[in-house]
Amino acid sequence: MTPADFDQHAPSRLPLPAGTLAGLLIAILAVGTVALFSYRSLQSRSEAANLITHTKDVIQQLESIGSTNNAAESAQRGYLLTSEPRYFEQYNRASALAPAQADRLTALVADNPEQLARAETMRGFITTRLQVAAETIELQRTGDSAAAMALLRSGRGIAAMDAIRDLIVEMSTAAQRLLQQREVTWQAAERLSLWVTFGGSATLIVLIAIAAVLMSRDYSARQAVVWMRTGQMSLTSRLQGEQRLEHLGGHVADFLAGYLGAQVGAVYAVEDAGSFRRIGGYALPAADTAIVRAGDGLAGQAAKSNHTLHVMTVPDGYLPISSTLGAQNPRELLISPASADGVVQAIIELGFFRHVLPVEREFMSRVSEILAVAVRSSRDRTKLEVLLAQTQQQAEELQTQQEELRVSNEELAEQSRVLNESQARLESQQAELEQINSHLEEQTQLLEAQKEDLSRAQTTLTDRAGELQRANQYKSEFLANMSHELRTPLNSALILATLLAENRDGNLTDEQVTFARTIHEAGNDLLALINDVLDLSKIEAGKVELSVEPVSIATTVDSLVKTFEPLAAQKQLAFEAVIAEDVPPRIESDSQRLGQVLKNLLSNAIKFTEQGRVTLRVSTAGPGLIDFVVEDTGIGIPPHQQDVIFEAFRQADGSTHRKYGGTGLGLSIARDLAHLLGGDLTVRSESGRGSVFTLSVPAVFQARPRLERPAPLPPSPPPPRSTPAAPSAAATAVLARPAIEDDRDQLAPGSRRILVVEDDTRFAAILRDLAREKGFQCLVAHTAHDGLATAAAFAPNAILLDVNLPDHSGLTVLDQLKHDPRTRHVPVHVISVADHAHHALERGAIGYAFKPVDRDQLSEAFQRLESKMTQGVRRVLVVEDDPRQGDSIRQLLAADDVAITVAATAAEALAHLKQTTFDCVVMDLKLPDLSGGELLEQMAAQEDVSFPPVIVYTGRSLTADEEQQLRRFSKSIIIKDARSPERLLDEVTLFLHQVEATMPIERQRMLKAARNREAAFENRRILVVDDDARNIFALSRVLEPRGAKVDIARNGREALNALARRQAGRDGRIDLVLMDIMMPEMDGLTAMTEIRKNPVWKTLPIIALTAKAMRDDQEKCRAAGANDYIAKPFDVEKLLSLIRVWMPK
Amino acid sequence: MDTTAAEFDIELRLLLDAIYQRYHYDFRGYAHASLRRRLRSAMQHFSCGTLSHLQSRVLHEPEAFPALLNFLTVPVSEMFRDPGYFKSLREQVVPMLRTYPSLKIWVAGCSTGEEVYSFAILLKEEGLLERSLIYATDINPVILHQAEAGVYDVDRMASFTENHRRSGGASSLSDYYAAAYGRALIDPALKKHVVFSDHSLATDNVFAEVQLVSCRNVLIYFDRDLQDRAIGLFREALCRGGFLGLGSRESLRFSGHSGAFVDVAREDRIYQKREAA
Repeated sequence: MTPADFDQHAPSRLPLPAGTLAGLLIAILAVGTVALFSYRSLQSRSEAANLITHTKDVIQQLESIGSTNNAAESAQRGYLLTSEPRYFEQYNRASALAPAQADRLTALVADNPEQLARAETMRGFITTRLQVAAETIELQRTGDSAAAMALLRSGRGIAAMDAIRDLIVEMSTAAQRLLQQREVTWQAAERLSLWVTFGGSATLIVLIAIAAVLMSRDYSARQAVVWMRTGQMSLTSRLQGEQRLEHLGGHVADFLAGYLGAQVGAVYAVEDAGSFRRIGGYALPAADTAIVRAGDGLAGQAAKSNHTLHVMTVPDGYLPISSTLGAQNPRELLISPASADGVVQAIIELGFFRHVLPVEREFMSRVSEILAVAVRSSRDRTKLEVLLAQTQQQAEELQTQQEELRVSNEELAEQSRVLNESQARLESQQAELEQINSHLEEQTQLLEAQKEDLSRAQTTLTDRAGELQRANQYKSEFLANMSHELRTPLNSALILATLLAENRDGNLTDEQVTFARTIHEAGNDLLALINDVLDLSKIEAGKVELSVEPVSIATTVDSLVKTFEPLAAQKQLAFEAVIAEDVPPRIESDSQRLGQVLKNLLSNAIKFTEQGRVTLRVSTAGPGLIDFVVEDTGIGIPPHQQDVIFEAFRQADGSTHRKYGGTGLGLSIARDLAHLLGGDLTVRSESGRGSVFTLSVPAVFQARPRLERPAPLPPSPPPPRSTPAAPSAAATAVLARPAIEDDRDQLAPGSRRILVVEDDTRFAAILRDLAREKGFQCLVAHTAHDGLATAAAFAPNAILLDVNLPDHSGLTVLDQLKHDPRTRHVPVHVISVADHAHHALERGAIGYAFKPVDRDQLSEAFQRLESKMTQGVRRVLVVEDDPRQGDSIRQLLAADDVAITVAATAAEALAHLKQTTFDCVVMDLKLPDLSGGELLEQMAAQEDVSFPPVIVYTGRSLTADEEQQLRRFSKSIIIKDARSPERLLDEVTLFLHQVEATMPIERQRMLKAARNREAAFENRRILVVDDDARNIFALSRVLEPRGAKVDIARNGREALNALARRQAGRDGRIDLVLMDIMMPEMDGLTAMTEIRKNPVWKTLPIIALTAKAMRDDQEKCRAAGANDYIAKPFDVEKLLSLIRVWMPK
Repeated sequence: MDTTAAEFDIELRLLLDAIYQRYHYDFRGYAHASLRRRLRSAMQHFSCGTLSHLQSRVLHEPEAFPALLNFLTVPVSEMFRDPGYFKSLREQVVPMLRTYPSLKIWVAGCSTGEEVYSFAILLKEEGLLERSLIYATDINPVILHQAEAGVYDVDRMASFTENHRRSGGASSLSDYYAAAYGRALIDPALKKHVVFSDHSLATDNVFAEVQLVSCRNVLIYFDRDLQDRAIGLFREALCRGGFLGLGSRESLRFSGHSGAFVDVAREDRIYQKREAA
């Protein structure tokens, strides 16, 4: 019977299934047969029994006959003997019975002829016997006993009796024989009957058993169908509703395992990639595989062949059944693919401890399609959902874009509204302007008229000026003539006074002699004065002719020594002349004038020095500039008087004149002569501590243009007083010390200097501090005059100028600065209470700020100054061995304010760098003597070589290591390519004009740090793990100056390698790690975890650097093994303190 | 605004605050109009009647947050999306990038990674990939994981190929992926040059100096302040002369940082940083 038969529900014409019917018929037949046989055997048994009974009756009858005969005999005899009636009666009863008995016997044996014959015979004998007996009795009765006895003795009766007895015996024997025969027959019949009974029973039992088996099979088949139907229905109901694959899988696995009584189960659904992913399990061990590929393993094979696999001997470890107490392999496995339309959608795998029944396999094959359809529809639904979500997200993005557009539109509208408004405003302003314009036109006309007036006035003025100049000339000539005229009589007076003083005649009193000497001395003074006035007027009238010739310095100094040594010796002063080695032996100048100035200075020095020493020092002050320094230890000049000593007719102190004599014109002449020689004369002095006068003259005389023109044009007719006119930057060299301390004594070469001209000391101090903060060195001046002098003396890079100064307006200072070629380029920022912005800006100030100013405005002012001051001439060094390349770079970078030097070798480059400060270096890596990298290292190593920003400009691509090496020195590396000239130009321009506000501070800080290297860092090795060049650069720059050695790793893997290498090497292990988080190949978190796995590095301090700002990021870092954490962009000081904290002591 | 809308907005702000404090994801600077829509669909998904209810669930059921995160972020991307953008990059940006010895590129808001791989392919075609490193960042770790896997539906490849061709791609896109079982797997060799990391433009800082930032269709979800913050980060991250690429509907025009950039390809929203670094 196949299960398929159960599905055939077509009504049959038979009342019972054919099989059942046949069985029943066979049973009926068998029962009938058995009954028949039983009946037959019973019958034969009963016949045999009857015959036996009959035979027994015969025997009994025979016995009865025998006994009756005997009884009759005995009764006869008894009667014969006794004649007692009792015997007679007995005889009568017996004789009455005997014939009947004989008849019965005859009847009984009627069926047996042999016996019948014997019976007939016997009846005859009996009758005979009875007749005899009866005769006897009768005789007896009659009393004839003797007859009777005789008769008796005749033996007739006895013979009959014997025959009867013989016959009885004979018949009994025959009957006995017959009886025996019949008993045998009966037994046979009984045996047969027994066999029939047994046989029938057995047949029936067999039939009943067959029927039972058949019915049982039918019943269980029905049960299986019901079971499967129920299962299918339950499963279908479980799969109903919209289910995700995971839920579906879980439900299916639970249900199937429960329904089939499996101990373990798993459900896999097909994936896009053709593999199967587990979507549900029942009692699955945790580590079971979640993905099965078609063809792989049993499940895969089942999927591939689309056939249920029933595995009886389960491979070891296959789908083990586990509980908390242990695990065991299932005995049997059922792996059933679920397919719909020929496509396998899922695999169900079940493990059993028992044998799997065919019906269970059948059930599995039936539910597979339901499952397959469910899986397919679930997958379809999931796909649909994904598509829907995608569509929704796209819609969302579109909508957001639209919103963004709308917002942008609104902003545009707002902007255009604002534009409209401003246009309207502009229009009204234009109208206003037009009005003003017409007004201005009127004014212009007015001005034209004024201009005409002015030009007329100017003509007049020019005439006047000419007249004045002539008058001036007349004055000088007059003075020259006059002095000559004065000297003539004075000469006589002097000679006469000398004669008088000699008192040759001896007629003068001592007092008179003294008077005469006084007259002589006064005359001498007057003469000196007249000479000086003459000199001065000559110089001022431009009448001094210089005779420029080679002047031997040594000769000049020697003659001075000869002249002044005795004078010094007289005053017991030490006198010394020193010529520095680098001073050229000869200079081109006017030896007479030079000597005159120096003589003046030396005589002053000796004059104003009471004790100590006077020194003349000759040295080189700069390229082509020679300094003659006269130093004394005399009374010195107080600061407030230093500016007046050079002015004609003014001396430091009125009393000086009286004490030391002299006209007071000497220094004025000396200074004017110094200017005439193309140089300058300056003083540094402190009251009571001596003075230092410095005469700077060019090694080769060059006429100063400003001296060619007459003294600065006085803005008004010269004031009657002899106070100085408007201060002249050119003419002013006296330097007053400011009231607050500044950096003039600590000026570093190449530093950026700012001059603050401000009379309010408090505000000046503020500006000074701010300037220092911005990385400037600061000079302070409190007056216009000092300001100009300081500007001329120290050549500041920028100037902050107050307008309200005690002596002159700041605007005048600004004018002067802008008219002097030496100070013209210096940017000036003006700060003032009053509004002079217009005037200041007109005069060339770069900015203007109103007092009170706040810090931000000041910062802005510094910013402007900084950006402006960088616009001077910039120097670029191009290190390139290929002359054509060098030339092309030169042409690329050429500009008015850029000076380009090309070096073909590293040595040449180093030489250039030693001599000159460059703003930027463009360097090729390929050089004949050193590689670019080595050149950079040397530049960094040599202290006397400046290290400007370097741009590496190379034709070859760099490896990561090379790049890292270069990055330590160069912020910018450019690979030559089509667009590289553009970038080179851009970067160079950037470096040349960059406001490096932070760099100098950093550099200073670094210098400072380098001076006092920290013990915490000294010789400690820090591993920096970061892939960002900017950070590596910054960290090395911070750590290396402090004495730390820095190892670089660009990712976690390199970090581990570096640690291991250092651990194995001899030159020091890593003391601390700075770990970036976001890196290629291996990120920081992984790297830290890896590091901590090695027991050697359990305590290695690691500081994590990360761009993430959140608390949980910090926790992540710590969890990965970081000791501490600092967020980017990090504060250098904070980082340093962190390192100090964690660095192992 | 009616009362319910006002209430919704209050709840919205409370929810964003709660998320920030609980999970450190800062959506407070996101454009509210879009958030409103996305949260309404999230409410449906979580079967929550009100945002307060949703807030309570998100606070007390940490496993609910990743699901909500998927609603709050909008991962829409394709390879070589807006081919004109990539064409302009090839023509105007790549020649400048060649002059750098090593390149770093930041794809901010990389979503499921299509754009990251587009960049990798573009650089490969231009011979620059070997010296490049692409940082791909996003706030959603689930999406980032997908991006890292680099597996896409093979059905999408046709349109990607068309985009790639129109972007001026010289090679065949199929050289860079392997298709099997209805999926396209991006060549793992490309991934060697990509670092995937989660990074929030709202809370985190700059992590490296880069030559190119591409952040497309991310700023549209931000309000003006957050847009400014993000652009500030890009400005800080970019080296001098570095490039910034934005989405087709995004612009620097209204940003406070607009002065620091000049147009390179106006239509394709490519800008160059022109201030001193």
